[in-house]
Amino acid sequence: MGGNAMQPLANVTPFKRAGAIQVQNVGQVFRTSGAEVVALTDVSLDIKPGRFVVLVGPSGCGKSTLLMMLAGLRQQTSGTILINGAPVPAPDPNRVGVVFQEASLFPWLTAEENVEFPLALRGVAKAERRAKAEAMLQLVGLEGFGKRHPHELSGGMKQRVSIARGLVQDPPVLLMDEPFAALDEQTRMTMGDELLRIWAATGKTVVFVTHSLTEAVYLADEVAVMSARPGRIVDLLQVQLPRPRTYEMLSGDAFGSLRDRIWRHIRKSA
Amino acid sequence: MKASTLRWLIVIALIVLWEALPRAGLIPELFLPALSSTLAAGWNEAGEYGHALGVTLYEVAISMAFACGGGILLGAVVGSLPRPRVLIMPMVSSLYAVPLVILYPVFTVWLGIGSESKIAFASIYGFLPTMLATAAGIQTIDPQLLLAARSMGATMSQRLVRVILPAAIPTVLSGLRVGGALVIVGVVVSEMLISSAGIGYLISRYRTILDSPHVFAGVLLVLAMAIAFNAVIRMLERKAAIWQTGTRGGQDTVEEIAPGSLQPAT
Repeated sequence: MGGNAMQPLANVTPFKRAGAIQVQNVGQVFRTSGAEVVALTDVSLDIKPGRFVVLVGPSGCGKSTLLMMLAGLRQQTSGTILINGAPVPAPDPNRVGVVFQEASLFPWLTAEENVEFPLALRGVAKAERRAKAEAMLQLVGLEGFGKRHPHELSGGMKQRVSIARGLVQDPPVLLMDEPFAALDEQTRMTMGDELLRIWAATGKTVVFVTHSLTEAVYLADEVAVMSARPGRIVDLLQVQLPRPRTYEMLSGDAFGSLRDRIWRHIRKSA
Repeated sequence: MKASTLRWLIVIALIVLWEALPRAGLIPELFLPALSSTLAAGWNEAGEYGHALGVTLYEVAISMAFACGGGILLGAVVGSLPRPRVLIMPMVSSLYAVPLVILYPVFTVWLGIGSESKIAFASIYGFLPTMLATAAGIQTIDPQLLLAARSMGATMSQRLVRVILPAAIPTVLSGLRVGGALVIVGVVVSEMLISSAGIGYLISRYRTILDSPHVFAGVLLVLAMAIAFNAVIRMLERKAAIWQTGTRGGQDTVEEIAPGSLQPAT
């Protein structure tokens, strides 16, 4: 498809429909040298297409484990997980894109090669790969940075590349595992706004894991609060704040009471 | 003064001293012949040295292929599979502490005093550090990278070729640096011990007749060989270092690349 590179980028960008996620009575038990650790028990969650859902909870509550199961990187010991109506027995980048913490870009590849990586695995032709990677880098605000290696990018820019990589196969679901945890606070705020902009532009279903209560309320349509091990969902908050979210909302009463409610749950189980 | 200029000055000073001290009679010609007489000695016997160099380079090349090829291959297997690692690593590590040169007389009994015994000895000598470094390099790959590759649907072989191997390159190179140097040492030392050809043999033979200029001509050739090898490894390392330098603490490098120009339009 040599002609692809010549077409305007807009032709590459229209996005697939968002995906629905159903988590039904899911449990996860780890076996480590004889001992059994119940990581998750009876977790149920119904996520409608296009929603932005944040998982919060104390350390070790299994929120990352839940995300790994949604990604097909780990299988639940009981219960059902359906994405667009079908289970995920193995990673399927056509249905689910994953964004990890900072370290997961391949340091020997340039930004655009990193974004192309999932396409290269599938044997997509070079020209088509390049065009898609360029469109994704443009989407995340990194136009012109494609030739840089990760060590030449700031922490926030690396996460933008990582988001572009997660979106390049246009999966209906984007999973994010504490993607901004390693960033400084200012960058973190900017990246939150950027992520909301990208989310609005693509209409994906997003599941986002974080430790930060402020980040959770700021980003989410719904916040699922999890208890300490064994992890369960103890509360599901609907965040009714209008969009686009603004910095001023952070000091509002509505914002504060939502954050307090999450904090009370977490303090109880910590 | 820049460090590189200083380094060159030291090298030049050493060369000048090598010429001046023996000439001034401060060092007896037997201990250290002047550089010019060393070069003259080598030049007069150019044919003999050329032949010896050919033999030594041949032995080094073959040993290098065995040591590095085998070391990387076995290191990759041992590094990525836990069972062989538990089995082999303790043995290899303790073997590494044994002065392997004690095996050389045995090799000459098995393989004769020709090139074969040198190649066998130097291969084993260089093999161990290469293998240990490769195994360590593969074991220390960031598991997040492998997880990310898996999330993108990479198969086992895709993960090996596209993630594990490139990620291991820097450590493998540092193993090659040590392993390759030991191969050169192994070949020259074994030539000096028991043999009938090669630079080590020439050095050893001229030493027994107290012909210092010819001994040092051989030493110069070995020196040149080691420097050339080092230059090749340095070049490879520089290529790999494009990304290796920045794997940790990326923020620091941003400033030196292009301050200000890095703010993306948001």
